[in-house]
Amino acid sequence: MNNDDVEQMARLAAGDTSALRGLYETHGRALLRFSAAMCRSRQAAEDLVHDTFVALLRGQTLFDPAQGTVFGYLCGVLRHRISRYFRHEKRWVALDADGDTFTPAPEAHEPGTVEEIARSELSAAFRRAMLELPLQHREVIALCDLEELSYATVAGILDCPVGTVRSRLHRARALLTLRLASLELIELEMDETLAQELS
Amino acid sequence: MTDTLHPQIATLLELYRRDLRRTAPSNDLDARVGDLVAGRSARPAAERAAAAARRRGRMRPLAGWAAAAGVGALAIFAGIVIGIRMEHGAQLAKLAATPVSPPADFSMWPRDSVALQIPAEYSQGSLVAVDPRAAVSGKRYWIDVVVSNDGTVRIDQIVPADSKNISQGSHDGITLQNP
Repeated sequence: MNNDDVEQMARLAAGDTSALRGLYETHGRALLRFSAAMCRSRQAAEDLVHDTFVALLRGQTLFDPAQGTVFGYLCGVLRHRISRYFRHEKRWVALDADGDTFTPAPEAHEPGTVEEIARSELSAAFRRAMLELPLQHREVIALCDLEELSYATVAGILDCPVGTVRSRLHRARALLTLRLASLELIELEMDETLAQELS
Repeated sequence: MTDTLHPQIATLLELYRRDLRRTAPSNDLDARVGDLVAGRSARPAAERAAAAARRRGRMRPLAGWAAAAGVGALAIFAGIVIGIRMEHGAQLAKLAATPVSPPADFSMWPRDSVALQIPAEYSQGSLVAVDPRAAVSGKRYWIDVVVSNDGTVRIDQIVPADSKNISQGSHDGITLQNP
């Protein structure tokens, strides 16, 4: 456990808002990655990260160091904000059909070669396939496969047993595989096990 | 249960992970968190964004559609109610237009009448009923009078006495006839 994080949380709880800056600089980027993997809109992703820090500042949630890391705690708060955002979003109809405004910054050292463009397109197609997954499957892939967090940490964030994380991840990967195959991004040899899992 | 990833998916995942790793907070987010630290603004951004989107008209609430559908259904229901009331009103008006008085030939009792023959003599400009057994002192007439049970009395005809014979009882000078 990072003691600096715990100390900053304690300072924040004591009313020192400058501790928020330190937490944002340490974890803001990772939280934004998680949020961006969950949301189509970059603006929404940033808003949700902002809301996470607003909740932290308002002391709406309590951090218990015994229950996990500060990053896991922040991810949990953000996850609740994301769930609430999507519940709210159901009541709205986006007039632009795609609505995906996520465009990663190009790598500075790579020129815009054909290979790089092809990679970007593949990455964008993968993102579209992932965004079509149900929320609970999307979040488990974002945390386990993209952020590469341990199952125990993810279980803490999702507030469920490790076994549930494993089964959700398994199911999420199967759904993603099927989706990518339907987009012809991968060649899928459908074996009986996978067919049974997807049925 | 296996936790192995399809190799092609692993490649795609790595590409996407690399893209995500390049994602950095925008200057706007940095500034907003800076405002939070400075204690200037603590309003959740999603609320502001939704309000701004509504103002710009980029998004339209489903609740609005539901409300419009509700108003439409209410209007249809009101139309049906008004239609029923109008139809009922027309029936009432038709009923009101129907005359409540009985027709002219309507009677609570069967119509009946009697005809009387009254002897009369014309003298000094007037026709006066007389005793038929009395001596004739002027021009004598028979007055045929019909009295009905509807309360009407009419003089049917007046004929000279010498042109009409009294065939029925005439002891009192009034002869009853069937109409």
